[in-house]
Amino acid sequence: MNRTRNFTQAISFDCESPEVLIGMLREWDEQQAAMDAMGYMGTRLLADRECLDRYVMIVEFGVVDPDVSAADEAMRNNRREETKAFAARLRELVRDEPTYHHFDELYRTDF
Amino acid sequence: MSDSSGGPSAHADDDEEVVLVARGIATAVAPEDGITDAQIGLLGSVTAALTGIDVDYAGLEPIGPDELARALAARPDAYRHRIVHHMVLGELVLRPLPTAVSFRVAQYAEALGVRDDFVRVARRFAQGAYGLAWMDLQRNGFADHVRGAVDPSALDTGRSTPHVAPDPFEAHVDPEVADRWHGFEELDEATLGRRVWEMYDARGFEMPGTPGGAPAYLAQHDFVHVLADYGTNLPGELEVFALIARADPDPKGFAWLATLFGLFETGFIADTGFFVRDHDGGRHADAPGMGARIADAIRRGKSVCESNQRDLFEVDFYRVAPLPVSEVREMLGIPPKGDRALCAGSPGTFDLDGMSAHQREVVAQRRGGHG
Repeated sequence: MNRTRNFTQAISFDCESPEVLIGMLREWDEQQAAMDAMGYMGTRLLADRECLDRYVMIVEFGVVDPDVSAADEAMRNNRREETKAFAARLRELVRDEPTYHHFDELYRTDF
Repeated sequence: MSDSSGGPSAHADDDEEVVLVARGIATAVAPEDGITDAQIGLLGSVTAALTGIDVDYAGLEPIGPDELARALAARPDAYRHRIVHHMVLGELVLRPLPTAVSFRVAQYAEALGVRDDFVRVARRFAQGAYGLAWMDLQRNGFADHVRGAVDPSALDTGRSTPHVAPDPFEAHVDPEVADRWHGFEELDEATLGRRVWEMYDARGFEMPGTPGGAPAYLAQHDFVHVLADYGTNLPGELEVFALIARADPDPKGFAWLATLFGLFETGFIADTGFFVRDHDGGRHADAPGMGARIADAIRRGKSVCESNQRDLFEVDFYRVAPLPVSEVREMLGIPPKGDRALCAGSPGTFDLDGMSAHQREVVAQRRGGHG
């Protein structure tokens, strides 16, 4: 297993109030910045130009403990109470059940 | 070996502990392939500057976190905290910063009983979570620092403190601040205010409070450029902020140095809201002599801390601007540069070597093309 490989969770959903979601994400990031370093690295929220109200949330995870993969860090993150609470708020905000996809990173442009 | 400011300093019989601490730092920060030349140069210089003892970081026997913690158990928290900061400094010069190193430094910090925000920031750098690292740094470093600096109850300088906008890292046009800075031109030549004005004027810097001028809060550090006689190019900024960081009795002052290293040395941080990343991609901390220069700045900062016991950003420099530079140096306990820094070529504020290429061009233009 490549221990340095990042892991990405892509969450697709329809939502009519992205500004609320952006506020939730800002709040989430501020909380995470104040906590011990964990796998969570950050989030990008993307709006679909072809499909009104369609959004994709790209959540990235990386390695902070050489013995734990980024994917395992993401699983740990899923088990946290605050993550469950965020997911519950997200479900209230979106039209249907969000769709989740999981990816291992193979390449990124870097400096 | 402990002292009131919590930093490692040495007496004649402390050699053994200095080496022990160096072993701990070297073991904590060494990448898989072994400690790097940049780390050896910087850490060796810091140890020599603070303790007077030369330690070769290249050939030290490893020591684990628990053994180091046991050996230092009787030392005060502040002393162990500064050691952890030296570990963080040692890891921040690595690019890329391996996760294994940042994880190991965290293990040493935990064993030493030190909970430090910058250990966490370094872990975020290693992970690649730069956005969170910057938020963390702002929240725990700059933000707290700034809150302390702008809270009138934390100051003894009243209204005459520098004007601080709601976001101190954001520059604002403020005629009152601009008038103060322009007024420095009228002061006697040997005064702090006049010398700072000359520093700005020669380089074509806009005065704080004017369009394009630096934020008044951050401009505070320009007084330190003159007082400590450091240049205004990136190596000079590293020296200035190494001094300022260590001069702060609160270990959170380390935020300045951690940020500057992240900004200028590693590219981890895009900008601070005022300083901008070195776009040429060059590195400075491992340039010849820079280890000695940064180490000497830390030594001087420690001396300021011991005599001043106050964050230099809290000093009311406007009040002392009409005084001679030498008098303000004495007041704040700023010692002269050390021989090693001078031998390493640490330029003064008005030396051309202490200016960026652009600043030299401006100076040349103002001197009629003969800079």
